[in-house]
Amino acid sequence: MSGPRQASLQSRLLLLVLGFATAVSLGAAVITWRDAQHEIDELLDGHLGQAAALLMVHAKGDYDDVFDIPVLQKFASQVAFQVYVDGQLSTRSSNAGTQPMVTAQDGFSTVRREDGDLWRVVVMREMKPEVTVLVAEKIESRQSILWAVMRSLLQPLLLALPLFGLALWWSVRKGLAPIRALRGALEQRAPHATEPVSLQGMPRELEPLVQTLNGLLARIHRMVEGERRFTADAAHELRTPIAAIRMQAQVALGAGDDEAERTHALRTTLAGCDRATRLVDQLLTLARLEAAPATQARPVDLSAVVRRVAAELTHTALARGQELVLLADGPCMVAADELLLGVLVRNLMDNAVRYSPEGARIQVLVRAEPGVAVLQVEDSGAGMTEEAITHLGERFFRVLGNEQPGSGLGWSIVRRLLSVFGAQAQIGRSADLGGLSVTVRWPGP
Amino acid sequence: MRILLAEDDAMLGDGLRAGLRQAGFQVDWVRDGVAAERELASGVYAAGVLDLGLPLKDGLDVLKDLRARKIATPILVLTARDAVPDRVVGLDTGADDYVVKPVDLLELSARLRSLVRRSLGQVHDTLCSGAVVMDAAARSVTYKGEAVTLSTREFDLLHALMRNVGRVLSREQLEQQMYSWGYEVESNTIEVHIHHLRKKLGTDLIHTVRGVGYTVQRELPAA
Repeated sequence: MSGPRQASLQSRLLLLVLGFATAVSLGAAVITWRDAQHEIDELLDGHLGQAAALLMVHAKGDYDDVFDIPVLQKFASQVAFQVYVDGQLSTRSSNAGTQPMVTAQDGFSTVRREDGDLWRVVVMREMKPEVTVLVAEKIESRQSILWAVMRSLLQPLLLALPLFGLALWWSVRKGLAPIRALRGALEQRAPHATEPVSLQGMPRELEPLVQTLNGLLARIHRMVEGERRFTADAAHELRTPIAAIRMQAQVALGAGDDEAERTHALRTTLAGCDRATRLVDQLLTLARLEAAPATQARPVDLSAVVRRVAAELTHTALARGQELVLLADGPCMVAADELLLGVLVRNLMDNAVRYSPEGARIQVLVRAEPGVAVLQVEDSGAGMTEEAITHLGERFFRVLGNEQPGSGLGWSIVRRLLSVFGAQAQIGRSADLGGLSVTVRWPGP
Repeated sequence: MRILLAEDDAMLGDGLRAGLRQAGFQVDWVRDGVAAERELASGVYAAGVLDLGLPLKDGLDVLKDLRARKIATPILVLTARDAVPDRVVGLDTGADDYVVKPVDLLELSARLRSLVRRSLGQVHDTLCSGAVVMDAAARSVTYKGEAVTLSTREFDLLHALMRNVGRVLSREQLEQQMYSWGYEVESNTIEVHIHHLRKKLGTDLIHTVRGVGYTVQRELPAA
C-alpha cells in the first residue's frame, strides 16, 4: 500500500456524524437568531411607536417642560425622547440631549449617537401645531434579550453534543464488531492456511468481501498445491536418473574382468548424465516460463524459426536415419517473442525426432491461412492412443513402453507456451504419415 | 538367490539388474505392475524389489493385492517417493523394507539378504550344517575350518539347500531358485553340481530323497 495511512473507519464515521450534527445545530441556531431578532425588533418597535404616540398626545396638550416620568427612570439609560413644537425643542428626557437625535424623515431608523452607542429611533410628525416626537431605545438592550434567547437554546446543545458523541462512538464500535471479528479470525490463521474463511454470522455488507477473499485464497491454494506437486514430481523424476547413474557407475566399478559389462555400464552412465541434464534444462525452462509469463510479442517469421530449429535437429535425425522434411513457402508472420517461439518449435520437432522410430519420416509444414498462421509437425511413428493424448501435458506423464528417456515435461512446456502465445494446438493422427500430428494455429499478427 | 526386479525405468532397471547380478543374485526384471504381481505370486523368488511408480498397476496396489492373497515373499520397495507419509503407507501396506532412490548397490544387496534371512527365521548371515559353515554375504564356505572354493552355481545350489534346511527341494524348485530367465538348464545339471559339492564337502551333507529331491539336514549325526 502506498500513500498516507487512512484513518480508521470508526473515527471517520464518528467525525462525519458529529460534524454534521454540529453543523445542523449551528444552522438551527443561526435561523433562530435571525427569527428572534426579527420578532424582538417588531415587538419593541411597536412599543417605541406607542410611546411616541403617547408623547404626541401629551405635546398637543400644551405642556412644555423637561419632565420626568417616574416609570421611565428605571429605563433612563435605555430610552430617550425629544418633543419639538414648531421647530423648538419643547420637551426631552434627560439623556436625550438638545440636538435632534436623528435628522431623518418619519419612521424607524438606527443611528449611532454622540455617546457612541447604537440607538433605535422613531420619528413622528403632526401639523397644527407642528409637533415632532423622537423616541429612541438603545440597541444594546435588544441584543441582550437576543443573547438570553440564544443562551437558553445553545447551552443544552453544548451539553448534549459530547454525550451524543459518546453514544455515537459506542454505537459505531458495536456496529463494526463483525469487522474486528473478521480481522481477529484472519490474524489467528496459520501463515500458510488457505482454507476459506467461514461466512457464518457475517453481515450482508461483508459477505462479498469475504467471498472475494475466499476466491483469492482458493487461487493461492491451487497455486501452492500445484507448486508442491511439481516439486514432488520433479524430485521423483530427478532421483530416477541419478539412481540409474549411481547404479551404473557401481556396476562399472564392480565389473572386474568383464570389459563388455564395464563399457556398457559406463556408456549408460554417460547417457544418464545427458538425460539428467535435459531434465534439468526442461525444469528450468518451465520454472522461468511460470515465473515471467509476460513476454514482448513482435512479428516474427515462423518459417525462419522452423528452419533454424530444423538445422539444429538435422544431426540427431540423420543419426537415427530419419528423414526431416520442411514445407514452408515464404515468410509466415506471427506475433510472439522470438526466443519463446524457438523453445516451442524446438520442443515440438524434438519430440517428433525423439519419439519416432529410426528411419521414420518427419514432416514440418508452415502455412499462412487467412488470419491464421499454421505450424504442423507430423511423423510416421506409432502415433498415440486417444487416452494417451488426453494425458499429454500432465507433467511427468510418459507413454508406456517408450524406450526413450523423457519426463513428459516437453509437453508441459508446449502447453504453457501455447497459452502465452494465445495459440491453439490440435493433436491427432497424421493423415499423410500415419503417426502423430500436432497442429498449432496462431491468430493473425 | 533369485530376485524379481520391478522397475519401469530402462536405464535404472538395467543398472540394478547388472549390479544385483554382480552381488550374486539371480535377477529377473519386469517393467510393469501387472507382470510384477504375476511373477511375485509364482513363489519362486526369494525376494522382490518393487518400484512404486509402475505403469499398468501402481506398486502399492501390487503390494496390497499380493498381501491380500497371503503371498509372503519379502518385498523391498525402491522408490523416489521419500516423504515420511509415503514411507509409512508403503510399510503399512506390506513392504518389508523401504529404500529411497538413489541407493548404494552394496546396501541394497545387504538389505535383500537381510530380508530373505528374516523371512526364513535366521538370525545372522552364517549358515551351519555339521562341519560346513556358509557366509552368504561374503559368498564363502568353510569345511572343517578350511576354506572351500565353489563355483557360482555350486554356491547358489548349496545356499538354496542350506537356506531351506530340513526341507526337501525338488530339482525343479532348485532350478527355479538358481536360474533367472533366459538360461537353458540341462536335465542333469543339478545332479552334476550335487556331485561336485559332495566331492568338496563330503557325502554326509546333502541327502538324496529318491523320487522327491535333495535336502540338507539341520544337524548331522556326529561324524
